[in-house]
Amino acid sequence: MKQPETPFDDPAARFEAGRFGMWLFLLVLAVLFVATILGYLVVRIDNAATFVPEDAPPPPSLLLVSTVALLFSSVTMQRALAAGRRGDPRQGGLMVATVILALVFLGVQAVAWVELVEQNLLITDNLYAWSFYVLTGLHAAHVVGGLPPMLVTCWRAMHARYGPENHRGIAYTAMYWHFLDGVWLVLYATLWLGSLR
Amino acid sequence: MTTLDARSPIAAEAPDNYLTFRRGLLSWLLTLDHKRIGVMYLVAVLASFFVGGVMALLVRTKLLFPGEVTWMTAEQYNQAFTLHGAIMVFLVIIPSIPAALGNFVLPIMLGAKDVAFPRLNLFSFYLWLAGAACAVYSLLAGGFDTGWTFYTPYSTNTTLGGVIPVLVGVFILGFSSIFTGVNFIVTIHKLRPPGMTWFRMPLFLWALYATAVIQVLATPVLGITVALLVIERVFNIGIFDPSMGGDPVLFQHFFWFYSHPAVYIMILPGMGIISEIISVHSHRHIFGFRFIAFSSIAIAIFSFLVWGHHMFTSGQSPLMNVLFSAITFSVAIPSAVKVFNWLATLYKGSISLNTPMLYGLSFLFLFTIGGLTGIPLAVLSTDIHLHDTYFVVAHFHYVMMGSALIAMIGGLHHWWPKMFGVMYSEFWGRIACGLVFVGFNMTFFTQFMLGSQGMPRRYYSYDQIEGMAEAFKMYHHISTGGSYIMALGFVITGIYLLHSLFAGKKAPANPWGGASLEWQCTSPPPHDNFSKTPRVGDCYDFSAVRWDEKQEGYVVDTEAHTASTKNGKGH
Ligand SMILES: [Cu+2]
Repeated sequence: MKQPETPFDDPAARFEAGRFGMWLFLLVLAVLFVATILGYLVVRIDNAATFVPEDAPPPPSLLLVSTVALLFSSVTMQRALAAGRRGDPRQGGLMVATVILALVFLGVQAVAWVELVEQNLLITDNLYAWSFYVLTGLHAAHVVGGLPPMLVTCWRAMHARYGPENHRGIAYTAMYWHFLDGVWLVLYATLWLGSLR
Repeated sequence: MTTLDARSPIAAEAPDNYLTFRRGLLSWLLTLDHKRIGVMYLVAVLASFFVGGVMALLVRTKLLFPGEVTWMTAEQYNQAFTLHGAIMVFLVIIPSIPAALGNFVLPIMLGAKDVAFPRLNLFSFYLWLAGAACAVYSLLAGGFDTGWTFYTPYSTNTTLGGVIPVLVGVFILGFSSIFTGVNFIVTIHKLRPPGMTWFRMPLFLWALYATAVIQVLATPVLGITVALLVIERVFNIGIFDPSMGGDPVLFQHFFWFYSHPAVYIMILPGMGIISEIISVHSHRHIFGFRFIAFSSIAIAIFSFLVWGHHMFTSGQSPLMNVLFSAITFSVAIPSAVKVFNWLATLYKGSISLNTPMLYGLSFLFLFTIGGLTGIPLAVLSTDIHLHDTYFVVAHFHYVMMGSALIAMIGGLHHWWPKMFGVMYSEFWGRIACGLVFVGFNMTFFTQFMLGSQGMPRRYYSYDQIEGMAEAFKMYHHISTGGSYIMALGFVITGIYLLHSLFAGKKAPANPWGGASLEWQCTSPPPHDNFSKTPRVGDCYDFSAVRWDEKQEGYVVDTEAHTASTKNGKGH
């Protein structure tokens, strides 16, 4: 094969560039989440005694279920990526599992919201409720935003499109997915600690 | 071999160029060519500049009259200056240099075919359009009068219907800016062709790189801030609402954590252009390349540490005030490093006083005033007096307009022959630059007087200000007169630039004698920029650049150029 003359024409260099771009994009999102959490902490600490109302329900224990689902989806995602790198046809099944787990996560998050609303905790009631809905909602919005590329990746994996020479798409998807997983753990820990009186 | 090959404009009639590469509207709207995307940004940004400029003239015209006028109510006045500020910041200055000129020039200067992610680049442009559409919609939905700073609690309480749409617009524009930044960082890191080392990279690219770092790190904070503001307006509760235990000053912290660095998103690319213009048009190697390059990076880092200087009167703790004040002073060092290096470059240079250089010299003058008047604003004791007066207005116009925008217009003239393959009228260019320079100083220098004598910013009328109404009226008249002169300068600029597109003399590949790579491809550049990877020499070494009578332009002897670089004449 002819040696590519510029990095622009070299697939390996383009992949390198793509991964670097993805890292930067994740950095952007990280700054966004850190700023949100800082804003939350400022009002939480400013109102140390009054932030959590006496009768307010704690974060629903259902969130443990969604957390486990999300953690497992990261595992299946990583294994799908490994299979994709090898050109192993199991990539399809693993991606389907990842998508299902992602949907389970979103479903459980929705049920948790409904549960809180039924306990009469509305976003307009106080900053405690507000911060729970806004922080979980912000994360869920990023999960929803990740679904379209996830579905495209899944469809391609089901046709065993990824192989040693071509696994850019699934690699980017995996990076984004692991990132959301990590963000969720931090958010969940923050909300849980913040709900302690 | 010199660049006098088959691709030079005289050797072959109508060589391939990006403007004629494909035809039709769709070939533009769906283009992935960084040059076409840059040109589309340029058109969009200049159109917004026109609208923002009309708003400014309305505001200035109102201020001719100290009291109420029948043709503009106080509410309309508030909307006019808000719109002027929001348009000029978010739609004009922030995208003007990186997205319009940078997009066009960056890959060519680098010797690359395109940016790293051409699709993302086009997507950024459409995000810009969507953000602009939101701003237009906000006017139909009732307008907004919050000032471009959207301070809470006013922004959460005002009843005008355009606040949410414009915040959504700002959010979208923020992501447009972020994606441009990501694209530039990756391009510069990963797509430099062999031979293009960091220290052979033109200073404009260093500046764009530093800018992109700020875009990527600061803009998400603006995004989440306006998003939280929207949520707060929708649900009537939020972390900026003091009645619920929130903190309105937190909004100011968030806002300025972005908006102070944003000042450097505006000025750093301008400084980059000035480095190019000063060196090329005085035909002299840039003085202190590494100092200028690293001062861009230093400014980018400092920019994140000084946001509190906008909040000296907001009830910040005195310790914070002192710290922010002290760190703010330190920004003067890298800025002054640049100015002294530019002056040293001019010294003993053979200066061509053509239009780009006139804008470059204007920049040096205006930026120096803009920078020095920042000192009394960074000093705590004087800032208490000057805060929220016309002194601040004058100061940031000297920096944002007198420096960033003037550099942009200088850069536009510098690369106009490259972008469109035609020469504009040098005669009218100089006249227009003179009008803009005189008009600008008339408009804004008087505002230093106004502010130091106590005229508050954003006031609709000043006839009630005891004992000062007459004095203020005189200054306002001079200021408004200056703004008309400036407007005339810009109108003339628009006319001769448009005229050049149809009747301008054909531009040679290298009209100014530049040595960076963009001057080595034809004007306008071919679709792929370079038919083969260009050889990279020292982009500020002009010893191998000579005038060619036949082409009526300069040619670079690439052989001698790369050789002289190797011999250590470069850096
Ligand atoms: Cu500032």
